[in-house]
Amino acid sequence: MPSSLDTDLLSPKPNPVLENPRSEQRGLDKQPRRTTQTFMRSWGHPKDSGLVESSFPLGNSPGLCLSCLWEGKRLPAGGRCGSQPRGEMANPVPSACCVVLAAVVVVYAQRHSQQDSHTQYERVGADVTMKCGSMDWDAAVTWTANGTDIDESHLNGSYLILKNVDLSQSGQYSCYEGSSWHLKYQTTLRVGTPPKEPVLMCRSNNYPKGFYCSWHLPTPTYIPNTFNISVIHGTKDMVCEKDAVPKNRCHIRYIQLFSTVKYKVTLTVTNALGKNFTTLTFDEFAIVKPDPPESVVAKPVPNNPRRLEVSWQNPSSWPDPDSFPLKFFLRYRPLILDQWQHVELSDGTSHTITDAYAGKEYIIQVAAKDNDIGTWSDWSVAVHATPWTEEPKHLTTEAQITETTSASTSSFMAPPTTKICDKGAVVGSGAMAVCWTAGLVMAAYSALFI
Amino acid sequence: MAAAESPSAALRRRDLCSRGIRLAGKMRADVADLLDAYVEQQGLDASASVAAVEGVPLAAVERWDEQTGTQRLLENLAAYRAFRALLAQMLEEQREQLGEADAGLGRALAAVLLQVSAFAYHLEELLRLESRGIPGEEEEEEEEDGPPPPPRLSLFEQKLRGLGVLRELAQWAVRSVRDLRQLAKPSPATGAAPGLAESP
Repeated sequence: MPSSLDTDLLSPKPNPVLENPRSEQRGLDKQPRRTTQTFMRSWGHPKDSGLVESSFPLGNSPGLCLSCLWEGKRLPAGGRCGSQPRGEMANPVPSACCVVLAAVVVVYAQRHSQQDSHTQYERVGADVTMKCGSMDWDAAVTWTANGTDIDESHLNGSYLILKNVDLSQSGQYSCYEGSSWHLKYQTTLRVGTPPKEPVLMCRSNNYPKGFYCSWHLPTPTYIPNTFNISVIHGTKDMVCEKDAVPKNRCHIRYIQLFSTVKYKVTLTVTNALGKNFTTLTFDEFAIVKPDPPESVVAKPVPNNPRRLEVSWQNPSSWPDPDSFPLKFFLRYRPLILDQWQHVELSDGTSHTITDAYAGKEYIIQVAAKDNDIGTWSDWSVAVHATPWTEEPKHLTTEAQITETTSASTSSFMAPPTTKICDKGAVVGSGAMAVCWTAGLVMAAYSALFI
Repeated sequence: MAAAESPSAALRRRDLCSRGIRLAGKMRADVADLLDAYVEQQGLDASASVAAVEGVPLAAVERWDEQTGTQRLLENLAAYRAFRALLAQMLEEQREQLGEADAGLGRALAAVLLQVSAFAYHLEELLRLESRGIPGEEEEEEEEDGPPPPPRLSLFEQKLRGLGVLRELAQWAVRSVRDLRQLAKPSPATGAAPGLAESP
């Protein structure tokens, strides 16, 4: 292997195509191509090669170039070589050189890709100094940030100085040798913060099977974080199996039940700028919190203007409601009021509200709790329902008069006006005024007939 | 092996289980109140960890769902018999320490002791119903052999042990409710409680 090859590899000569790399290459991910192009330039003219750099298409892989060299062919504009004709013996000298060439290309590409993959993490507000690789302090260099030249005022010799960095200064920083525009150094700057104390929550919504822990950071760090969780029960380490979705969650199966020994969960978050942790200690019963009841349905009861029938189901995540029954808490109110009514139910998954205001739309929710331990679930999805009301009759005076007889027999019946009036009527409109007047008249008739 | 349960026996068992569940539930509520009062009046830290105390039956169990009915009953009975003795000892120590100064705590201890005794008797009834032999109490055997009395604990050690006893009793009360619910479940094949027909 010629020693010059190594030298060329280390400091490739200028390439006419890359004379003005910023204009030719900016905005394009050309590093591997540039590498190959430069490399080919430094290789010069192999003995059997009619290869000319300018006709070398950047899209070709080194492998194809090798095959062309081997065949001693010029690369066509399309960039692909033909295959070796059958029966033709390969020339052993170019073959050996090709192998060497391939090895050199791989090594150079790796070195270059290592440069490309360099990432530098700095804290928000820090002062950052970047050196241009192995360049001397007094070397003439040009720095770019995401392909844009950086003003010389940020330079101290060949060093790039960034003071009090902020998040917007994250990006790719490149340093080019002044005259040759060779890339001498490249790094990705990620500006972020060390992690604050994470927020950790553990809960058993599937008792007695196990529990899960989930976590998040109170504020973003803007750089990658790694989370590690440990769970100890007494002296035993337990495995918290990470959930695929969501990522910030893991679950543990209970090995023992009814233990007084507490669980200790420690979550550590680490990033390139620091680490933090939090610890939760709890006993088995304290974290039991079912999911809300499901399929809550509320229906009016025919011929009962003050009743609503509510039913629901145990949360599907609760594995054994027969052995570990849930009790329920139902709350309801008419939409027009703020105060809730509450009912606690020790068994069953249905309840009939018997004191609803006739004709008023209600909002109803249910929560669940293990009969013996833990805390109440969140409220279920709210459902709306309005108690049964009698169907409105024809809007004639005679019909209204005959109706008052039945209307007056029950004090729970809604005033006739609520049956007659259109729900969509706007309050304060003339139609509403007529309705109320009619209602007053009928109420007076009712009083007469009682 | 137990034969298929007669309807009256099944009804009796279910009734005993239901009453037992209510007893255990009440006991648990009272033990929780007693625990709060005990911690406060003994000047203890409610969150203090107490190592397992010798002689205090641990409620913690592995593979709880795989236990047979007989296992559940026997383990419960052994536990409550032990608690009966431990609570009696606590009551005695309480009276020695404080005399009449803390009658409230003494009364609460006595009330829980009564419930524990009642529950133990209830468990014996359930075992009798299943024609299971009721194991003799270890206490009686020990009295016959005349073992040496346990070393006297310091006042602080007594308080910590008391805390451990009450905590474990609270766990047992919850476990007993679960155990009795399992027992109350009818077996689909025989109509007997799950596990009871399977036990030797």
